[in-house]
Amino acid sequence: MGDKIKAFWRKISWAWSPESERESSEAIVKNFWLHWFPAKVARASMDWNYSFWLGTASAALLLILTVTGVMLMFFYVPSTERAYGSIKDLEYAVSFGRLLRNQHRWAAEGMVAIVYIHMARVFFTSAYRGARAINWVVGVILFLATLLLSFTGYLLPWDQLAFWAITVGTSIAKQAPLVGPTIQFILLGGHEIGQQTLLRFYVLHVFFLPVLALVLFGYHMWRVRKDGGLAVIERVRNERAMAPKATPKTKSYSLFGLTPGTSVQVMSSTELEESDQVFSSPNMSRRIALVFLIVFNITLLAALLFNAPLEGLANPSVTPNPAKAPWYFVWLQELVASTTVRMGGFTISGALLGGILLPGFLLAVLTLWPWLDRSPLRTEGRWLAPERKRQNATFAVATLVIIVLIMVGVYLRGPYWRIYWPGQPRPEIPQLY
Amino acid sequence: MAEKNESFEVKDFGWLVAMSILFFALVVVGFWIEFSTEWGPYQQEFPQLLGHYGKVEDARDFRAGIKQIWIPKIGVTDRCITCHLGYEWSSVLPATIAEPLKPHPMNDWLVKHEFSRFGCTPCHGGDGSATTVAGAHQGGRGWDDPMLSRALAGQNGLTMNEMIQMRCNFCHRHDAATPAMEEINLAKQLVKKKKCMVCHVVEGSGGTTGPELTYEGDRNPELLNFAHVRGERTMFNWNVQHLTQASVVSPHTQMPDFNMKPEESRALTLLLLSWRRLPYPPEYIPDPEVAAAAMQPSPTSTATPTPTATPIAR
Repeated sequence: MGDKIKAFWRKISWAWSPESERESSEAIVKNFWLHWFPAKVARASMDWNYSFWLGTASAALLLILTVTGVMLMFFYVPSTERAYGSIKDLEYAVSFGRLLRNQHRWAAEGMVAIVYIHMARVFFTSAYRGARAINWVVGVILFLATLLLSFTGYLLPWDQLAFWAITVGTSIAKQAPLVGPTIQFILLGGHEIGQQTLLRFYVLHVFFLPVLALVLFGYHMWRVRKDGGLAVIERVRNERAMAPKATPKTKSYSLFGLTPGTSVQVMSSTELEESDQVFSSPNMSRRIALVFLIVFNITLLAALLFNAPLEGLANPSVTPNPAKAPWYFVWLQELVASTTVRMGGFTISGALLGGILLPGFLLAVLTLWPWLDRSPLRTEGRWLAPERKRQNATFAVATLVIIVLIMVGVYLRGPYWRIYWPGQPRPEIPQLY
Repeated sequence: MAEKNESFEVKDFGWLVAMSILFFALVVVGFWIEFSTEWGPYQQEFPQLLGHYGKVEDARDFRAGIKQIWIPKIGVTDRCITCHLGYEWSSVLPATIAEPLKPHPMNDWLVKHEFSRFGCTPCHGGDGSATTVAGAHQGGRGWDDPMLSRALAGQNGLTMNEMIQMRCNFCHRHDAATPAMEEINLAKQLVKKKKCMVCHVVEGSGGTTGPELTYEGDRNPELLNFAHVRGERTMFNWNVQHLTQASVVSPHTQMPDFNMKPEESRALTLLLLSWRRLPYPPEYIPDPEVAAAAMQPSPTSTATPTPTATPIAR
């Protein structure tokens, strides 16, 4: 009887069982989930100051966003008539609804920032060399997926902020040569933002983009493992190979008797030493739990302290002054606005240069950087190696320019898209009564 | 080596404990915020108040929680009554009770405008979905339908009652005159007297010299020129001054200066702002003739509408 139950249980719980020893060992070897983490990791990669655990933090944010997002899906209605009302309900009537929405919002904005900083870390440590170049490209796609996830989510509350930010964003896309209007039409599901746009953005936001992000994230992690761990290991290897070995006393015999010096030795010790490694369990699993907990606490604290923005119901006939893109695209809006040239009644739109050509160029260069980088391989896994001074400076300056443009767009731009310095009075926006 | 190994193990474990404690603290704060609602104290006070005025059974049956008037066909979700609990108890509770438990005054028109059919915001404005004082009364940036409070009405030189008449006219638009809507009634007479429709189209008829005014209340205030408007930059203020002296507010306009009295231009502004695209279904729109009949001094003449009952300004 017991055997029968066991056999039955086996039948319903296992789709497949190994027929031979070889098959059962292969089942372990080929299992994706068992190979995310190695048995041992380099001690150097446990260092806080090398990676700052930004990739893990991004993964933690993705998990938080998935869990809070699924919970929000129970309340949110993707219809132009009810979307705004369902957000109001979350804010005011659903138990912990406001907290849930706040945490989702701040985790989403945090993820855009953390993923970018993670990428900067990889750049500054030259961690994309050789086989790791593929993972760099995967990372760039993951960054784009993060941006798109955030952008599609931005529309969903269907308030003035959402409506007009997406109007600005998709109008920039329209300026792409040849395909621009088609891209805008596909994004909007029509010629203007409406029910079709909301539905499209919703389906992208809750299904296609998360699936893309999760699949790529899985591959990204697996690649880290297959490429031999974090690039800091290469630094340790290089150091080991360079370090003078304590040579054993040997005797060399020549035809004329004993000669000074040592005999021929195999210098094989380019692999990591035992002492360079620690067991992943519990060291890495404990650390990952810690990073997850820190990230969760930070997002929860932000959610308790700050409310996610929500303005009036979307109104296509009233444009807020000024209408701004989401902050991570504000630098593009800033570029578009400042490259737009007006001569009399004649306007050359900056959207092509600022909105399409420049970001397209930056993205292409970013993706291809591992193949453009000609610095020596010994810089691998080292922070701000002096041999890479110029390219590090270029990356830092580009980042700084983008940050400055974002700051200008978010904090200094006011009504009529003019610059208002802190303390400078802004014109009062006319009200109804 | 073993020492170095231990150093981060111990540190990580310490941080893990600290972060766990912080996590529990944050969860406690989260629960505390969730359950210390603004409406909680009022809901504790209300049954005691009912009991005090002899409604012991109603006090016993009172259940705490968010309360709302939900009328999907006019888009009303009014949670105002979560705090304003005394609203329908004017027969029991005295009007001297402090807000928010104070009962709604039992006006004549409330008989025809039951709370269950109209809710709160169709007359008062404000954010009905909100369950916080600030959220419901003050609104945030980009909020186009603020609550018509006494303070707001005072800023515009009106009483709250007069200001609310603008919202009455959302449905009573086609009445020639409506009982208790003195401001709007005055404005409708002025429209006739000043012959606005010689120049302006309103609902399909009128002259085309000036802009159409059918949905004047939906205009974007930002598109108005405030360069020559004194005082607050509001659409209300713009209209008041424009109706009085159009040539000052819009220098090259063809509109004559009507030199109206302030109360006249305020009344007309209320009428103009009431002309909006609105979601009210036909059963909410009153028969203009019924209102006209009610305006007659003698109750015997209700059956036959008099010539004055024909709609003037629609």
